[in-house]
Amino acid sequence: MKYLLIIISLFAVQALQAQNNYFYLALDVNKPLTNTEWVDGTSARGGRIGYRAFITEGSRLSLGIDANWTSFNTHKPTETFEGKGGAITTDYFNYIYQYGVTVSAQYYFPLGEGERVFPYAGLGVGANNNEYVQYYNIYSNSERKWGFLARPEAGILVKFTKNRGLGAMAAVHYDYSTNKSESYNYDRFSSIGFQIGLIVMNRY
Amino acid sequence: MIIYIIPVVFYFQNQTLMRHLLGSVLIVMALWSCHPEPEQYDLLDQMVVTTNYDTTANFSSYLTYSLPTDTIGFVSNTDPNDSIRTSPQYELPRKVLQTVEDNMEALGYNRVGFNESPDIGVNVYAVKDLNLFQQVIYPNYSYSGYYGYGGYYYYPYVQTYAYNTGSLVVEFVDLKNVAANKKYKVIWNAYMGDLFNAVNQLDQSVDAVNQAFKQSSYLNLSQP
Repeated sequence: MKYLLIIISLFAVQALQAQNNYFYLALDVNKPLTNTEWVDGTSARGGRIGYRAFITEGSRLSLGIDANWTSFNTHKPTETFEGKGGAITTDYFNYIYQYGVTVSAQYYFPLGEGERVFPYAGLGVGANNNEYVQYYNIYSNSERKWGFLARPEAGILVKFTKNRGLGAMAAVHYDYSTNKSESYNYDRFSSIGFQIGLIVMNRY
Repeated sequence: MIIYIIPVVFYFQNQTLMRHLLGSVLIVMALWSCHPEPEQYDLLDQMVVTTNYDTTANFSSYLTYSLPTDTIGFVSNTDPNDSIRTSPQYELPRKVLQTVEDNMEALGYNRVGFNESPDIGVNVYAVKDLNLFQQVIYPNYSYSGYYGYGGYYYYPYVQTYAYNTGSLVVEFVDLKNVAANKKYKVIWNAYMGDLFNAVNQLDQSVDAVNQAFKQSSYLNLSQP
């Protein structure tokens, strides 16, 4: 553990020293892949924000930190639930509010003169928080769970002009997290997502 | 310890990076509060209907019941003068009681007077619960110059918010098998809510009462 912290710290120092870096803000569209009986709809109510610093000459490798947020929801029509000694009838809404933070590394594939277009593949690892909420009339039940998050990702950065830092990004990613919810029958949570956004890049 | 300090030092040395990170933090904070919830209308357009019954009760042994004609009870932790009970032009009590009676008749029970020894006493009442919560408000204050000069400050104040919640309740009291200590037992009840936030209180109450009987098939006297 001690060695891991030292390695992370050295990488962090290198990343913070880096002159070449970029910041991004993106819309994140996600579709859940697990327990789709609970929530199944594609959600565009998400976003990601992050900072990445190139740590090698030639801008082939970067390290960064990313934060993401998404909410999923599904409306369930009126249903009667029978129990011992009674029953309850209601329609209801299932919601998942998801927040995650990852540290990530990206490899940039050489393309053209390497000044404007940067295709990349990367991997992020971190923590994911899922809040599962059921709304019915004025009432609600909820459960909040943390889990480990792994996120392989592939994308592309495109600077609008060679000499300016502003550009666009697009990426696809797969999120796998270990969030468990006994109440709502989740033993893990995974989703696929597509993000599109803006970047501000500093390259010297 | 030094390995944790080094990144922080470099962080503050890099002003461009700091601006970006500061901007990131502000945006994240702004967006973190994005917590969409269902539309109120979609949530409140039908009541939640909960029914409970005494699993030891033999419902086929009850044949008669009594029911008030035009008044439903009202239980509140606030002012008892509520329109549900007192207003003569208010439709809810009669509509709800009529719906209960229609369902009881359909299930095979006979309505009798209070003094004709009914097997079941049907109680219908509304429970109103006034919820209060308080929030301390800190007014915006301006600060200019150095501390103690040029700035002004408003004292915080407490704001009280209130909202009503409540349920419509129908319950069957066993008048046939009164315990030795003269205690009466509730053998079936239905809680329907929320009554006070309903989009259409009258229609939703009638629908909820019908649903309460529908999901309680064991009340049907013609059932084997």
